[in-house]
Amino acid sequence: MKRNSYISKVIMCVIIFLLIFPLGVVLLWSFVKIWPWPNLVPRDFGIRAFEYILNPNNKSIRILCFSVCLSSVVTVITLLISIPAAKALGVYNFKGKDFFKILVLAPIIVPTIAVAMGIHVAFIKLGLANTVLGVVLVHLIPCLPYGIRILTNVFEIIGESMEMQARVLGANSIQTFIRITLPLIAPGLLSAGSLVFIVSFSQYFLTFLIGGGRIITFSMLMFPYIQSGDRMMACSYSIVFILSTLVILLIIEKIVRSYYKGENYFYM
Amino acid sequence: MKKISIILLMIMLVVNLTACGNNSNKEEYNVLDKEWKDILEDAKGTTVNFYGWGGSQKTNEWLDDFVAKRLKEEYDITFNRVPMNIDDILNKLLGEKQVDVKKGNIDIVWINGENFYTAKNNDLLLGSFTEKLPNFNKYIDKDSPEVKYDFGFAVDGYEAPYGKAQFVMIYDKVRLDKAPKSHEEILEMVKNNPGKFTYPAPPDFTGSAFVRNIIYDIVGYEKFISMEADKERIQKEVAPAMEFLKEIRPYLWKEGKTYPATIAQLDNMFADNEVLMTMSYNPNHVASKIVTGEFPETSSVTILNRGTIGNTHFLTIPYNAPNKAAALVVIDFILSIEAQSSKYDPENWGDLPVIDNGKLNEAEKKIFENIKLGKGTLPQSVLLEHRVPEMPANIIPIIEEIWQENIPVEGE
Repeated sequence: MKRNSYISKVIMCVIIFLLIFPLGVVLLWSFVKIWPWPNLVPRDFGIRAFEYILNPNNKSIRILCFSVCLSSVVTVITLLISIPAAKALGVYNFKGKDFFKILVLAPIIVPTIAVAMGIHVAFIKLGLANTVLGVVLVHLIPCLPYGIRILTNVFEIIGESMEMQARVLGANSIQTFIRITLPLIAPGLLSAGSLVFIVSFSQYFLTFLIGGGRIITFSMLMFPYIQSGDRMMACSYSIVFILSTLVILLIIEKIVRSYYKGENYFYM
Repeated sequence: MKKISIILLMIMLVVNLTACGNNSNKEEYNVLDKEWKDILEDAKGTTVNFYGWGGSQKTNEWLDDFVAKRLKEEYDITFNRVPMNIDDILNKLLGEKQVDVKKGNIDIVWINGENFYTAKNNDLLLGSFTEKLPNFNKYIDKDSPEVKYDFGFAVDGYEAPYGKAQFVMIYDKVRLDKAPKSHEEILEMVKNNPGKFTYPAPPDFTGSAFVRNIIYDIVGYEKFISMEADKERIQKEVAPAMEFLKEIRPYLWKEGKTYPATIAQLDNMFADNEVLMTMSYNPNHVASKIVTGEFPETSSVTILNRGTIGNTHFLTIPYNAPNKAAALVVIDFILSIEAQSSKYDPENWGDLPVIDNGKLNEAEKKIFENIKLGKGTLPQSVLLEHRVPEMPANIIPIIEEIWQENIPVEGE
């Protein structure tokens, strides 16, 4: 038994190391000017890239804030659509349910580029191209599968019995939703929301195509530097990218947890 | 429930239809018929969207810091730079053309070569506008083949020159004491330093330029300038160069079994001391890489004695630019002495100016002479002496194809 826990500890450390180490390299490179072979440590350090990002002339920070807002809006809309869809898939029985479950994943299975080209032409005709609304709509495509799938599992676990109980005791449907369903699925909403936020935040191609350069997100600033091989710049942008996602997720988690503090979690 | 959703759907459709109607009814005036004075007036207080490659910190800073600031001061124009690759820009314009969008959002595009060829052939551009620009008429040599032709394709005023580039090879003086100046010397160098040289695989832009430069060095450039895009003929002409590339192959990095896919990768390999040389289509590339600290201080450029390929990059205006007047004003400003000299300064960007030296007065000439050359670069006069023109745009893909057929690359 003791031996077992020792082994599992080692495995855990290795996994954590494997996850953290690449991030450490990225962090290091964001300060490295030059690191030629065969030097074990970089030859010269600098803060050129962070100076550039913080320079207000190139609007990096402003665009970062905009991206966060955009992805938040996408997350909220995705969750609003996902809850009823997931409930239907998780709780109710109907003909072709399994088919629909797979169909929900279609946006991830079908290559985005193939679909996006057609959507672009349609959006131009509808006047949605190059607008924030258009970008939000198109972000929903890769986000929805994640939202729906995660919440479906949540609804499968909690079932409908609690809600029925509330209804029997005289609560109307809105009360039931706010006081019973929402607290029950809160942890699920949190993980679905986090994932959806990340998916939306890192969208490059779709934003690019539908936003047409009018809507600029943070990943669009970062991409040219990754492509042109400026490692210091690319790593610095990546660090800012990772940190801002992390901070946002932590904040959301804090808020949700304090809101439902004292309430019982039926699972987690 | 069903009824409500149907009504919702109908409302949505109606909204969409009205949205469409609003877009197409704007009356377009022809900006090119206007006087320059009126164009300046129209441009005042507006925003210009500049679309172009955004992968170089120096270039981005020059546009964001210098151009944007001066345009605001001088013309009250807000300059908005959008980083986008030219392929994506063209796809966007082609998509808009397909559904006939009268008002897009790109005002200025940074373009040249095959992409200009594509854009002009598909009617994606505004038209012949350069004659309108005062600075173009004043400072640019209109009869110079570098202004009249872009990769062998007639410009006809559809784009205005922006800057000049020239192919150079980069080495580190500490690691390589004698830089090769011809293909024979390259062969000698790779034999002495096996595994320490390579080039990006075409169709990478720079790798493709290297292959063309080797072709020029071995068989001369004259016959290619007016050559038809006939694969058999080209194959025959470039055969000696392909033989040479096969000959150096075993001495290349990883024995030539694989090549770096992009110039970015080769640059990083040079910075990491993995290879002895890299290359660039921008002679001041090395200076800016030294300034950012990516290349060692002792890096330097070399050119081939029989000449290296030079080209001009341009600015153009799409057919559906929302703010054509301001686009003209911005391009005119970029052609000014002030902008061109600031752009030439390696502290800012280090891009070669397009202004004709013969059209400058003494004071203006002094401005350019006083700019301190970047570390490791060659003076403009040396570069211009060794400058040979690009091949026609439609030959280039054929040469890339021939390279791929002759030089087998193993999967990475």
